[in-house]
Amino acid sequence: MKSVIYVIKENLSNIYRIFCIAKYELLADMRDSKFGLFWNFASPAIQVLTYWLVFGIGMQRRGYDGIPYLPWAIVGFAAWWYISPCITSGCSAIFSKQNVITKMKFPVSVLPATVCVKEFFNHLCMMAIAIVMLFLFGYFPNIYWLGLIYYAFCAFMFVEALALLTSVLTMMWRDVKKLVTSLMRMLLYLSPVLWPAAFSGYPFMTFIMKLNPVYYIVQGYRDSIFFNKTFLDHPAMTIYFWVVVVVLFFLGSSLMYHFKHKMVDML
Amino acid sequence: MSDYVVKLDGVSKIYTLKQKDKSKKKTYFYALKDISFEVKKGDTVGILGTNGSGKSTLSLLLSGISEYDEGTMDIRGEQALISINTGLNMQLTGEENINVKGALLGLSKKKIQEIKDKVIDFAELGDFLYQPVKKYSSGMKSRLGFSISLALDPDIIIVDEALSVGDKGFAQKCLNHMAKVRDEQNKTIFFISHSLGQVRNFCTTGMWIEGGRLKEFGEINEVCDHYAEYVDGLNALDEKTKKAALDEKFKERILDKAPSRTFWDMLIR
Repeated sequence: MKSVIYVIKENLSNIYRIFCIAKYELLADMRDSKFGLFWNFASPAIQVLTYWLVFGIGMQRRGYDGIPYLPWAIVGFAAWWYISPCITSGCSAIFSKQNVITKMKFPVSVLPATVCVKEFFNHLCMMAIAIVMLFLFGYFPNIYWLGLIYYAFCAFMFVEALALLTSVLTMMWRDVKKLVTSLMRMLLYLSPVLWPAAFSGYPFMTFIMKLNPVYYIVQGYRDSIFFNKTFLDHPAMTIYFWVVVVVLFFLGSSLMYHFKHKMVDML
Repeated sequence: MSDYVVKLDGVSKIYTLKQKDKSKKKTYFYALKDISFEVKKGDTVGILGTNGSGKSTLSLLLSGISEYDEGTMDIRGEQALISINTGLNMQLTGEENINVKGALLGLSKKKIQEIKDKVIDFAELGDFLYQPVKKYSSGMKSRLGFSISLALDPDIIIVDEALSVGDKGFAQKCLNHMAKVRDEQNKTIFFISHSLGQVRNFCTTGMWIEGGRLKEFGEINEVCDHYAEYVDGLNALDEKTKKAALDEKFKERILDKAPSRTFWDMLIR
């Protein structure tokens, strides 16, 4: 419990540091290329186009639950492309900053948050594209869209908790990063991003799929936009999700707390 | 005596070494062994020693970045390791890097604005300030990095060979600045350098670390003389005896059994 308080306190007291690091890392990424910010919008747009060509046109998906395939998939991808890069780069959150932590006294536990904040900006770019596409398909904002804010918060807390855990584990065993990178490909298909991740006729399998916390987030984004539902419509899922997040956060911060001074020796 | 700012008592640091033949068994190595000293407020300690004798490890311990394995350490005040190139982002301009490094060092937005002009003044980079740092020469980079670090206001300043890159003029400027800060605000400085001249002029107390042990701690000129004698003596030896002496020293630092605190102890603790 001490460790959880320690991590939360350190993150809150360094909030300016977190935002500043995230901001300048984004800026550095943009300086790298000539068009900069343009790519933050263009690369997700091109990806959406690819999947739409393959699955929407090529494989003749009709869409799910009465929603055409392209808007259905875009909303799923919007959530996925926040979660996925956060998980992969969250693993190396501490490791990639080794030149900083070996050379100055630095609150290591804020590093996972910097990654999540940085990716959140990219997520907002993606959401902008998604919303423009939804307008083109004739979906207009209503009060239920506010649920997106809640689910974005869910996603942030989930990736932050996971990144806390995996970033310390990566410091102990570099293999963790490779493992997570490979598992991400699997996770894409275990989540309802490209398909509803439901097995008609096998309710047990569908139940298993729902144990994946990403399911809750992706489905939540869709519920808010298409189905006029709030998180109160899924009380069991909501409780389950937050239990998972709290457990991950607890594990992550206790590891972080125990190893905070050992990081330098683990490199 | 209780007016010290830094007090080390029997501090040791143990590293794990891999075996040459890739066997699973690990050996443990004393990077520092049984270091004890006291430093008073306002002192400038020059740390001397040959390569691999544990100077940088000591600087990591003193700045609180790394943890020691044995002994006790008591530090009163905020300490900071002056590092030059860390935290500089190659893509960003010098001016933006002041913000980046300031934030990394944990300064508030207001504080960064306050120090900015001072840093720009001190670094003397001219219009290069608005160029990306990747276009800087190594000397310019260290100028910028050092200037930002100096703008910090710690009680204990630790400088680990940070001045060996820039030109003589800038190094002297930094030394003068640090001496001014030390005298005016009564700061404590640990200065690690291989340049005996700089150490003699700048420091008041000398510390000589050899093979992970504290060999001498006392008046700066005495320690410098003994150290210079030792280095000359080492150089005068022929290759074979020198190698034998180094091997002997290395063996002394090896630890057979595992240190008392293992991985699982750390997890459970």
